[in-house]
This record gives sequence, C-alpha cells and structure tokens, in this order.
Amino acid sequence: MATNPPNREDLKATWAFLEAGIERIMRDLNSGMDMSTYMNVYTAVHNFCTSQRPIAQPPNLQQSAGVHRGAHLLGEDLYNKLIEYLTKHLTEIKEGSQAHSDEALIEYYINEWERYTVAAKFINHLFRYLNRHWVKREMDEGKKNIYDVYTLHLVRWRLDLFNHVQKHVMAGVLQLIEKERNGQTIETTMVKSIVTSFVSLGLDENDSTKSTLDVYRQFFEMPFLAATSQYYQIESKQFVAENSVVEYMKKAEARLAEEQNRVHLYLHPDITGPLMKTCEKVLIQEHAGLLREEFQILLDNDRQGDLQRMYNLLSRIPDGLDPLRTKFEAHVRRAGLAAVDKIADDGGDNLEPKVYVDALLEVHTQYQGLVLTAFKGEAEFVRSLDNACREFVNRNKVCKSASTKSPELLAKYADSLLRKSAKSAEESDLENKLTAIMTVFKYVEDKDVFQKFYSKMLAKRLVNFTSASDDAETSMIGKLKEACGFEYTNKLQRMFQDMQISKDLNDAYKVWLEDKPQDDSSATAVDFSCQVLGTSFWPLNPPGTPFNIPEVIIKTYSKFVDFYNEKHTGRKLTWLWHLCKGDLKANFCKNAKVPYTFQVSTYQMAILLLFNDRLIISYDDIEKNVALSQEYLVPSLAIFLKAKVLTISPATAKPGPGTTFTLNTDFKSKKIRVNLNMAVRAEQKQEVEETHKTIEEDRKLLMQSAIVRIMKARKVMKHVVLVQETIAQIKSRFTPKIPDIKKCIDILLEKEYLERLDGERLGYLA
Amino acid sequence: MAVQIKLMSSDQAMLVVDKEVAERSVLIKNMLDDIGEVDEAIPIPNVNEAVLKKVIEWCEHHKGDSPSTNDEESDSRKRSTDIEEWDQKFMQVDQEMLFEIILAANYLDIKPLLDVGCKTVANMIKGKSPEEIRKTFNIQNDFTAEEEEQIRRENEWAEDR
Repeated sequence: MATNPPNREDLKATWAFLEAGIERIMRDLNSGMDMSTYMNVYTAVHNFCTSQRPIAQPPNLQQSAGVHRGAHLLGEDLYNKLIEYLTKHLTEIKEGSQAHSDEALIEYYINEWERYTVAAKFINHLFRYLNRHWVKREMDEGKKNIYDVYTLHLVRWRLDLFNHVQKHVMAGVLQLIEKERNGQTIETTMVKSIVTSFVSLGLDENDSTKSTLDVYRQFFEMPFLAATSQYYQIESKQFVAENSVVEYMKKAEARLAEEQNRVHLYLHPDITGPLMKTCEKVLIQEHAGLLREEFQILLDNDRQGDLQRMYNLLSRIPDGLDPLRTKFEAHVRRAGLAAVDKIADDGGDNLEPKVYVDALLEVHTQYQGLVLTAFKGEAEFVRSLDNACREFVNRNKVCKSASTKSPELLAKYADSLLRKSAKSAEESDLENKLTAIMTVFKYVEDKDVFQKFYSKMLAKRLVNFTSASDDAETSMIGKLKEACGFEYTNKLQRMFQDMQISKDLNDAYKVWLEDKPQDDSSATAVDFSCQVLGTSFWPLNPPGTPFNIPEVIIKTYSKFVDFYNEKHTGRKLTWLWHLCKGDLKANFCKNAKVPYTFQVSTYQMAILLLFNDRLIISYDDIEKNVALSQEYLVPSLAIFLKAKVLTISPATAKPGPGTTFTLNTDFKSKKIRVNLNMAVRAEQKQEVEETHKTIEEDRKLLMQSAIVRIMKARKVMKHVVLVQETIAQIKSRFTPKIPDIKKCIDILLEKEYLERLDGERLGYLA
Repeated sequence: MAVQIKLMSSDQAMLVVDKEVAERSVLIKNMLDDIGEVDEAIPIPNVNEAVLKKVIEWCEHHKGDSPSTNDEESDSRKRSTDIEEWDQKFMQVDQEMLFEIILAANYLDIKPLLDVGCKTVANMIKGKSPEEIRKTFNIQNDFTAEEEEQIRRENEWAEDR
C-alpha cells in the first residue's frame, strides 16, 4: 500500500485511502506497519484538513461572512467517517461475541479489547493533525460529544459494544470468581484485564483527559458486590447450621482475609472498602447475635484465643462490641463478687486483709490480662473492666455493712506489708505488692477511709519504730500522692518530718542535760527519749484516763518540760502516756541468775513500781496510786496475771475492786526479755470504731468546705446545682449522699455562711 | 554515539540527522514510538529538501530545549512577539521560504518552530496600514471602495491611535 496520498480535495478518495490504512491497523497490526503507509495516512489527514476547498456545504455562506468564526477548520467529515467506521467495526466484534460464552467470552472480549486499544493509539497518532486543529477548536468552543480520536475509540467501544455485551462478560467473570471461592484455581489475569478495561471506559464528561470510575463502579463493582453478598449469605448460613460458632468464626476470619487478598491480587484497590463492608455485613453483622450468644460461654471457659477472634470480627461492624462490653462488665463483676463470697464465708469476721486483697487482685489480674490480649487493650473494654472492678471492690459481701470495709482492709494489708515482721518481703517483691495495692486503691470509692486507717497505722509504725523500711514507706506515700494529689498525703509526709525533728530534739536535749549541774542522779538514772509530734498531723488522741506519773520518772519528765519550754515558749506539750513504754529490770525473782527485763507500757510500769515498796497490794490501793480508770487498769493487770508476774486472790477472781495482788517471786520465763506490753483486743476494736466515727466527722467538714469553696467562687447558685457540684468535687475522696450534703448546707445556712434567696437559690455571705 | 535517522524529502533527497534532533517533530517521534526503529529512510512527502534542511537546522540548534512545553508556558509565549536573537536571524529568509517553513512546522508538528514562524509574520504586520500590509505580502485588494469603508467603520474601535 505504498500508493501516494490521494487528492486532498476529494473526501471520498481520501476516506477510501484512510479506511484501508485504518483497517490494516485494526486487523493486522501484528504483521507490522511500514513507514510509508504510516506517513501517507498522516499526510492524507493533514492534506485533507489543510485543503483550500470550501467547507462541507456548497458556498452559500456568503451572507454570514461577517459573523462567522475566523478561519474554517476542516475535519468534521473525517471525524464522522471515522465514527461510521468504528461503529461498523464494533458491530462486527459484537456479532462475533455471540459465538462465545463464559470463559471463552471473557477471553474474546479481552483479546478484542487489547487489539482495539493498541490500534486506537496508532490511529490517534495518525489523526493527530485532526486532534490538534479541528477537534481542539470544537472542544474549545464547548461542543459536547467531540473527543480526541483515542477517546473517541473508547466512547464508541462503550456505546457500540460494551453496552451490549457487558452483562454476559460480567456473568462469566462472576462465575470465574465463584469458582475460585469454591477452591478452584482460575486465570486471575483475565479478571484483572476485565477490571482494567472497565476502568478505562470511565470518561469524565467535563474533561476527556481524565477518567472516572463510574463505568467500573456501575458495571463491575455493583454486580460483583451483589454476587459476593449472595454467595456468602448462602455459605455462612449453611456453615453455621452444620458447625460450632467457634468454627464459624475461624471460617469468617479466613474468608475476610481471602477477600482482602483478592483485591490485592486482581481487583481495583478502590473496591477494598465496599467489598469489606459487604463481606462484614453478610459474614459478621448477620450472625452477630449468634456470636454474642457464644461470648458468655467463651468467657466462662476462658477461651482467650476465641475471645480474641470474636473481638476482631465484631470490632469490624458498627456497634458490634457494645453488647460484649456490657456482658463482659457483668461477668467480671460476678467473678469478683463470687471470689469475695468464697473468702467471706471462709474467713468470717476475722477476715485476713491479705486474703481479701489477694482475692480482689486475682480477679482483676485475670481479666486485665484478657482485655490486653484478647481485646487489644481497647479503651472501652478497659472502662468496662474498671466499672466492674469498682463495683465488686466497693459493694461485695464483705462490704455488706458498709463500703468502708474495703479501704480498711486494704490499709491493714498495707500495714502488714510495711510493718517489721519475721516474714518481711523482699525489696522488689514488696514494691510489686505495693503497686498491687494501688491497683485496688484506684477502685476504692471511700479514699478518705483508706487515708484515715493508713495514717493511723503509719503513726503506730513510726511511734513504735516498727516500720520495716523507710524506702518502702516513702515509695508508698509517693504512689498515693501520685494518685490523689499533694493534699491527700500532706499529713503523712509531715509525720515523717516530725520523726526527724524529734531525733534532733533528743540529741539537743542530751547536750543540754550535760551542761546542767548534776544535782542528783535520778534525772539521769532513767534512759529517756521521746518524740514531739504536731497535734494536727498525727491521728493520735490524748489519753482517755487520768494518770499519776510514777515518782521515779517525774524528775526526768519535768526536766524535759523545762528544756522544751526553754526552747519553744508558748507551746503546749501533751503527754500521750498510753503510747509510752519502758523497760524494767526485775530483781525480785528468786530463781533467776540474770535479772529479767520486762517490756511494759507506762501504765504497767506505774503499777509494777508500786511493788517496789510492798509485795501485796489491794486493787483499790493500786487504783488510788496510779489513778487509772478501770478500763485501762483491769486489762493491764490481766496481762500480769496471765504472765504470772502477779497472782490474784481470791485465786479465781477477775481483777476488780476487792481483789488483792501479790508479786510472784517464783516468776520464771525462758526468755530474759519479757514483753508484757501487748495491745488489748478490746482496745483495737474500739479504735476501729473510733476511726469510723472520725471519718463521719471529717466527711462533714470536707463537704462543708467544698460547699463554701464553690459558693465563694459562684456567689449565687441554685440548690440542685450546688449539690451536683459538691458531689463532683468530693467524688475523688468518697461518694457523698445527697441528704448529707443537704444537712451540711443547712448547717452553713445556720452559721450564716450562706443565705436563702428566692427561687431555690442560695447566696454566699462573705 | 547518537542514533541516527534518515529522512527522505519530497524531492527524494536523503538527509541524516540525530534521532534526538528528528524527534523535535512530534510526528516523527510518535511514528518511531509506534513502529519502532527502522533502517529505511522516513519519507516526508510534504517537505522538499531545501525546507527540510532549514527545519533540521532549527531543530539542531534547539535540540537541548525542554522537549514539551506545558500550556501555561505556551500561553505566555503566544502573547509576546519577542523572538530570541538566533531565531530572528534564522527567519531572515525570503517570504516564500518563511511560509514553507511555517507549513512544514505545522505538518511535522514542531510547535515551537511554528510559533516562531507565526511571530515573525506577526511582526511583519505589526504597525502597518492595510495598504502597507498588502504591499508586504503582495495581496491584491479585492474590496470595493464601499466595502472597505464599511469594514473600516466596523473596526474603528480597534484603531491604534
């Protein structure tokens, strides 16, 4: 076909020449294309478009010369001829397609598509002159439905072929994918080519250089998603009927991964979202009820792996997890309550603090582990866990009487860890246990109760020098401070400071004493030390009984008072005799080679010292001399009787008026040091009750100060709002009851801190 | 060494140029992309030897230019009639050759050369009266006196006074 380009003026001849070239490109590009044909076709298009021939119609345009657009560009005829040709060509392909179906049809379509688009690229180049001038002008003038030659090929493909065959092609594609879903191997590149073809056909109406996914979405995505949905609907229903829920979860998980992979292998990435959504709907959403029913069973059997699987599945659908959280929360609460029930029954009233705290911790640890592994530590599940723990920590069988039992036991457990004892824990172990205490502490609502008990026991540890480790004490206070703020631990820290100050004070006292003239020996005969502690920081009460200071120590006592008053004028010293103790050397025992040392309380000391003068003393004489009230005197004597330091007559009587006590000179003990200073059980119980009572008092003050603070800031406030604000402020310490708050408001009204205004409002009086 | 391409002018003259130079023509570039490199000469049926040589000369000089200009750039180029010095000298040819070059640039799809050619023509028109323009391009006045008067009136607004 090396003929020269035809006469430029002659449309018929030109087109005949071009058609031959195009036909060859369409049909027979594989056998190659020679240069002169290429150049001749291009030249023919060029020549036709640049011919001087009057345009299209006979020259009757004379009259419009004035308003006509500038130069005329020729090309419309060629463009229309090309459309004509393409329609004819595509119709042939369409007819050819009817001989095929299924996979063969797909293959046919792909082959034709590939051949056609390669040719289109060629023809586009050959018609470039038309593109550059005529097409460009038409498009610049805003004409619709005029495309560059390549795009025109795609448009015609879509109109003349695609619209007629896409249904059949898609049917084949869907069949192919279903085969793969059923486990067969398929030629995935075929699907990929179809996807590419469909995507190419999406043309932006406004800008032909851009493509859209419209065609692909309508003709591929939609039917594909529908088929997917249907397929999995049937499959999952059948599978669920024949298998366990756990098996189904595994299946669904595998199917979801498979579909994800399918996108990766041969689908358009755009489909990821819709496809996953479709699968999730059919595979998860529609079986969500069934899955959730299984949740409790999995929890009961602690099937972590399956729980994780369920979490992963249900987290993919909207609101999938909410019902699980509710169930989880209830389950943990039940587990916590059951654990407490068990130990409450075993321990009864004398429940060991450690047992109780361990029981709480065990439940928490188990389910925290579950949340972290199976539920990926998801915040909402953590919250459910916290809610459940808060419930069973504050409201369980042990706390039946009062919610203050939990903080009390927790503080006692802390005390048992921090107190010196035979089985003191290892340093690192201790630290872990303190951290565990904080875990429970976080859930305790009545944090003020814990504070009360804790400071009480800390005071005792410090006063009695029974703290196991300063570091551990500091660490624990640090933790509490971190959890509740400076104010919460302020007093605890001050107690430590007082201990240090007292140490220095004792040293100063010794120096002071040496400078004094040694008027008599009795002042130094007693080895003396004391702690001076700030009243407001220490939870210690003054002695509840009158007491006559024994003769032997009265000099020491007054010397120290002199010293202290000299150092700090205007301070009042209160002597807490009930917390004091001393050692006595007992020289009265006939059988002892070495004298025994009695460790006794000051009260006991006063009693025993009486026996320095006489061996037999009546109860009434003792009472008269030491001036102790009965509830202190009787238990002290009882300890002496029990240890056989004293004997009573009549022999079977209990200590009391009318009885007489004799020093037992036959006293024997295996140990040289005999500890007679034992806390009395009744005393302990009373202490607990007292602590609870002070808690009530403190709470009232706390509420009142909160109310005043709020009112000072707001000046005027509605009653209801004030109550709510107060609750919000107090909540971190304990959960206040509304009637209590109202009572406090009434007290403040009475004290004229507040005034009643109209309309339920309250005002602040400065 | 650069790949060389043979071009065959309409009057059967063979010209050898670097491929890089020849590909300033979008037509040739596309064809080489489509067909692949061939040994035989590329027929250029619409351009004779003299003009083709001129075009190749221009392409040689401009082979280092950035190959494709985007729309914005061509827009600013369109507005200005400035021509760089070398191109001005290059275009100092007789009128017939000038038009041949423009036609060839259009045919071979060498947009920058087409622009330079058109600008050169534009500069020849600029500031001239219709009579002078007619003289420059040897155009016969085929308007009647009345027609001419009417056109003048219609276009009065555009007069550069």
